[in-house]
Formats: sequence, C-alpha cells, structure tokens
Amino acid sequence: MLLEARSVTKAFGAFKAVNDVSLTINKGEIIGLIGPNGAGKSTFFNCLTGDLMPTTGQVFFKGQDVTLMGPEQRARLGLARTFQVPLSFEGMSLVENVMIGAFLRTADPDEARAKSLKVLELTGLATLRDAPASSLGTPGRKRLEIARALATDPEILLLDEAMAGLTATEVRQAIELVRDIHRLGITLVIVEHIMEVIISLAEQVIVFHQGHEISRGSPQYVTQDTRVIEAYLGKRAAATAAKGFAGGKA
Amino acid sequence: MKNKFLPFVFLALALIYPLLLTSPFQQRLGALILLYAIGASAWNIIGGYAGQVSVGHVMFFGCGAYGSLAAYAHFGWPPILGLSLGVAASIGIAALIGTPTLRLSGHYFSMATIAVAELLRLIVTNVEYLGGAVGLSGPVMPRTWLDLSFTSALPYYYLFLSTLLFILWLTWRMEKSRMGYYLRAIKDNERAARSLGVEAGRYKLYAFMMSAGLTSLAGGLYSIMFGFVDPESGLGMLTSVKMLIMAALGGAGLLFGPLVGAAILVPLEEISNTLLGGKGAGLTFMVYGAIIMIIARFYPGGMLKLIQSKLKYDKSGGKADVA
Repeated sequence: MLLEARSVTKAFGAFKAVNDVSLTINKGEIIGLIGPNGAGKSTFFNCLTGDLMPTTGQVFFKGQDVTLMGPEQRARLGLARTFQVPLSFEGMSLVENVMIGAFLRTADPDEARAKSLKVLELTGLATLRDAPASSLGTPGRKRLEIARALATDPEILLLDEAMAGLTATEVRQAIELVRDIHRLGITLVIVEHIMEVIISLAEQVIVFHQGHEISRGSPQYVTQDTRVIEAYLGKRAAATAAKGFAGGKA
Repeated sequence: MKNKFLPFVFLALALIYPLLLTSPFQQRLGALILLYAIGASAWNIIGGYAGQVSVGHVMFFGCGAYGSLAAYAHFGWPPILGLSLGVAASIGIAALIGTPTLRLSGHYFSMATIAVAELLRLIVTNVEYLGGAVGLSGPVMPRTWLDLSFTSALPYYYLFLSTLLFILWLTWRMEKSRMGYYLRAIKDNERAARSLGVEAGRYKLYAFMMSAGLTSLAGGLYSIMFGFVDPESGLGMLTSVKMLIMAALGGAGLLFGPLVGAAILVPLEEISNTLLGGKGAGLTFMVYGAIIMIIARFYPGGMLKLIQSKLKYDKSGGKADVA
C-alpha cells in the first residue's frame, strides 16, 4: 500500500468539507476522484498533498504517518502534485521551472538542467525550453505543471483537474501523456470533472458528494450507480437516465 | 548578461575613477556610492532575490556600526575587529526574527522588521554603555593602520570597492546555485515551490541571515569612515528606507541593481544637501516617498530591468503558445 487516508475529515468552522473519507492506493494504480462542484474532492486532495491538514484522521505514505508533514516534506518522500489553476513560476523559463523540481534530488545546476531537458522532452515541451513560462497558454501551463512534478522523481503523482480548460484534441493528447507517465511506474491519483478522462484512465473511481464518499468502484460501475446520477443530475434524472449515462460529460 | 565584458569595463572605470576625479568631494562621493551599494546589495539578497521586503535593515547596519565602535570604546580594539562581533550579532538577530516571521506570508515580516529596528533604536538610545543618545566615537588618531582611520576618502574608496566586489561575487555564486533558483521560485510562487520540495522557510531564513551579516559590513565601514555613530545615523529608519529604495530603483533581484540605484540616488542626495543645507532634511523623505510611488506604479522591475527589456525587445516580440 502506497498511500492511505484513514477517516479523514476536514472542517472549516462548522462546515465539514470532507467527512470521514478513507482510501488506500496501491503501487501502480490509477485512482480517480470525481464529484460535482463543491463535493469536497479538492479539499480531500489537498489533505493528501499536505496543503491542508485534516481536522481529524490520518494520512500514511509508504507506511509513514505524514498527517502533520508539509507539502515539501511529502515531496521529498516521493509525492508530487499539480495545481488546478497552474502555478507556473512566471519569471522563469520553462527549463528553469522544471529545474526547481529537479533540484529536489540534486544540488548541481548542470545535473538539474540535464534532467529537466529530458522531462521536457517527455512532456512535449522541449522546443520551448528557453521560452518564459508567462508566454504559455493554458495547455502548455498544464503540461509544465506535470513536467515540474515529474522532475522530483515521484512515486505517486496527484493530478488536480489537469485537463480542465482543454479542447477535445488537447484532452486526448493529455490522456496519452498520463498513460506514458503511468508506464514509467508512477502511481496516479486523478481529480477530474471530465468523465471521458476518468473512464479511459482510472481503474478505480471514488465519487464525492457533499463531503461524503457516495460510491466507489470501476468507472463502469459508478457511472451506472443511481446515487451518482442523483448527485450529478438530481433524482428525477436518475430515474429516467439510469440506463446509459456512461460516456457523457459530467 | 548580454555582454560578458561589460561588468569588467565598469570595474576598470571604478578602479580608475578616484585617480581621474581627484577632488575631495568627488572621491567622497565615490566612496559613499560604494558604501550605500554595499548596504543595498546586501538588502537585495532577502528583499530582491527572496522577495521578503525588510523595512528594518538598519538594525543590522547598526549592529555593525555599534559593534565596531563599542569594541574600540570599551576594549580598545581596532574597529574592524569589533565589526566581526557586529556581524555575528546581526546573524543572530536575523535568526531570531526570521524563524517565526518568515513562515508567515504577507506583510508580517515587513512589519516585524520595522518594529524590531525601532525597538532597537529606542533601547540603544537609553543604554549608556552604547553611548546613549550621544553616540560613540572611533579613534581620532590612528594608532596603527589596523584602525583604518584616514584623512582622505581614497583608501576608503578602495576598501569599499573590494567589500562590494566580495558581496557581488557571493551573491553571484548564490544566484547560480540551487539556493538562487529556490529563492526565485519562492518569490514567484511559494505554494508551488513547496509542492516541489522547496523548504521555503529554511531558504528564506538562510537568505535573511546572509543578508543581515553583509548589511552589518556596511554599518561597520560607515562608522569606521566617519568615526562616529549615534542612534539616528546608526539605527534611524531612513537608512532602512534608503537600502530598499536603491535596490528597488536599480532593480531588486538583479545582481547590479542596487549599485545602479546607489549611483543614481547618492549623488542626488549629496547635491540636494549641498544646495539646501540643513533645511533639506525633511525634503529627503518626501523625495523618497515620491520615488517609491513612481517605481511601484511604473517600473516595478527597476531601471536595470527597464533597460534590459528595451534591449531585448527587438529579439523576442510575440508570445509563444503550445498546442
């Protein structure tokens, strides 16, 4: 077991954004976290990465209790993430952005640069390596997020809506990239709005609604689950559309 | 970094400057520019590179100035030896302030530095051991060359120049190292940096301690040149503001930015002091206020950045985009 959350609850005042969610992820898996807006999946995600501390519950990574560790310590252990709204280092070139990630494993700038160029090659950004990050559009920034995270040599990569805001073609290219990353032996947790992405990538999906886990299983299973359809479309739609929802856009 | 030889041309000019312009005013002006460039370059490490705006850097300047002269006044040490105590005190104070405040984002750090600097000024004003409100004096007549007491500004000029070169070399080494990259990343986006394993609090603290120690060199050299320090000259807020403005005007986060800022502002100040005499003291604050506003509104990158971007404009025009 690589990453484990034990009954994680995150409360903001009286409001429980995440309510008693548990999760185990084994090496090599791809797990999808889905749910309507405000369902708590991003909050849960941030509890896994260390950006938020759970109110109660624990997070374990490689058997170690990381509940109280910040994101920088978790990164050192091999956990990497991307941000939903890309947080590129605007004042730096692409290769410098990636070097910040590579520096986690080496203090030598030449080594960090060499490794970053390889990662840019893998993520399809090599030709733009010396361009400033501020010159990138959304698809480029999303790729740069992934490249930076990969440069830290992660064992697990958590992608926060890495495909949001992309066109259909760009989504297909991004799915290919995620598959390539998985083939490198990196375990993946994917938060995603787009059903097509989850269905084509994830082996197991956890559906969030109002802070709770309402369904869990294969993508085919959860998209047939009436509770999931209810959460997304309301009760009446669940009754009528129960038969063939899979494949639609959430 | 457009031309590799440009810094060496300027270095050559700096080396022969006091030999070409030999009047006491010109030599003193040159020495003062270098002295302020030392302070502003030291500030630049935490304020420019790490983006943590200290508005109380005079406390480190004061540590150097008081350390030098207090060691002379009480133990008869050459001021330059006392300066080492000032440097150590600066680094210690920086660690004490930085450890709790650099973890916080926003303006807590700036506020804390102002508060501690003012507190230190008030304390020193009331401590007889440090000369109280009257201040401390250095050796009137040099006992040995180690006292570094000269009548001409020329030796100071070269002393300051070599100190500045040392700081710039150190900063350049840092800029090219992992720490330099990390500081830029922290300044740009701390949350993203931390997600990539950057221990932001620790690197900001290192930068602050390094900056503090080097700033106290400026204070020590100041007190050695003028042979005198009091709470206003050694711990007054205006000195903090000057370091900040010179770095910001020239280009915060750029190696030569603070030097450019000092080369613009020090002559302006000297000339206005000569023209206005004592009456101009309040005016200085107003001028600095105006400069802060103009930089913040129109040239947030500073003059050096402005020149660089003008030069670069022809090379890269349009925006690149990725499909």
